[in-house]
Amino acid sequence: MNALVLDGSRDGKESRILAVLREVLANAGYAVDVVALRDKTIAPCLGCFGCWVKTPGECVIDDDGRLVARSLARCDLIVYFTPVTFGGVSSELKKALDRMIPNILPFFASYHGETHHVKRYRRSPSLAALGILPSADAEAEAVFRTLIEHNATNLQSPRSATAILALDSKSDAKAITRALVETVTR
Amino acid sequence: MSEKRVVLLVGSPKGIERSTSYRLGRVVLDVLKERGFATDAIHVHSAMRSSDDLERALAAVATADLVIMSLPLYVDSFPAPVIGMLEKIADRRAGAGRVQFALVIQCGFPESSQNAVALSVAERFAAEAGWEWLGALSLGGLETYGSADPALRVAATALAEGKKIPDIALKKAMPAWLYRIGGNIMWRRVAKKNGVARKLRARPYEN
Repeated sequence: MNALVLDGSRDGKESRILAVLREVLANAGYAVDVVALRDKTIAPCLGCFGCWVKTPGECVIDDDGRLVARSLARCDLIVYFTPVTFGGVSSELKKALDRMIPNILPFFASYHGETHHVKRYRRSPSLAALGILPSADAEAEAVFRTLIEHNATNLQSPRSATAILALDSKSDAKAITRALVETVTR
Repeated sequence: MSEKRVVLLVGSPKGIERSTSYRLGRVVLDVLKERGFATDAIHVHSAMRSSDDLERALAAVATADLVIMSLPLYVDSFPAPVIGMLEKIADRRAGAGRVQFALVIQCGFPESSQNAVALSVAERFAAEAGWEWLGALSLGGLETYGSADPALRVAATALAEGKKIPDIALKKAMPAWLYRIGGNIMWRRVAKKNGVARKLRARPYEN
């Protein structure tokens, strides 16, 4: 099993928690690939739809965004590691997510009562998200959980789960991360 | 009394000239101009490419009375450069306690309800940046391809008076099932024109 961890930290300050996440995933049997997005060259999506109707399945921009899209197509589990940013994901993580649209088809279908794009690949990865907050914030947490559910619907993920870690609390990062990984691996 | 200032942040990669985001935002700006506002439009993606342009954009929003962001939905939220600019604004508390903020958002799906998480993110941003949230006009593909102009003018009239955007009933151009069929036909036509009709379902990254 392959796990692709997209590290959306803006400054890499939470490396201790990331190391815990990596260890928990490895102990659960995953081959772990951690991508520090802040160190990658990933241009913003152009909104040109070239990846659908010019070079189907591949972005027209030749940079690290293509490598992340390729890893996503081949992984069993994608893990977002991100500061919870206005209830959403960081700009660092979002720059990679915006470049994942080559991995879906342009065609629309009704799915769970809403219109969504049809998936390009036969299998879809499960989705786990570990959001970091400076302190507990129920409102931001609720928005973040809803966002991840929507992302999982778009990815057509077989399983998805969200965990939040408040840095000023005495929460056990290892226990929270283990519960997260168990939920998407069962 | 000095003239009020409104800044339109255009959050589409297609820029000021070619984007639906600007076309929609322009309708709002025109109403505000008639009501005596000085208007300005900034393309977020361009501003985020240069530190000088970013500083100019941050200075413009910090001294605005009203900031309107017009943008497409990308993966359930805002395009990455827009989140990047909002992070900078919140970090600096630019315009905190001064700026009123509203959103015009459109998605490519027929259901405008798919914008809901992005609206929550905008509201959270406003709270964290110290801006006053005046709400949003949330458009799906059905409204964008019909005419949203009357609704945009109603929203702009409320914003001109410093009020929240009211709930506005939007006219849908067609049923969702027809939108999906029409979209699927359109994509096949464009692919055929580009000579890739047979490769549309290619899986270049499959193991």
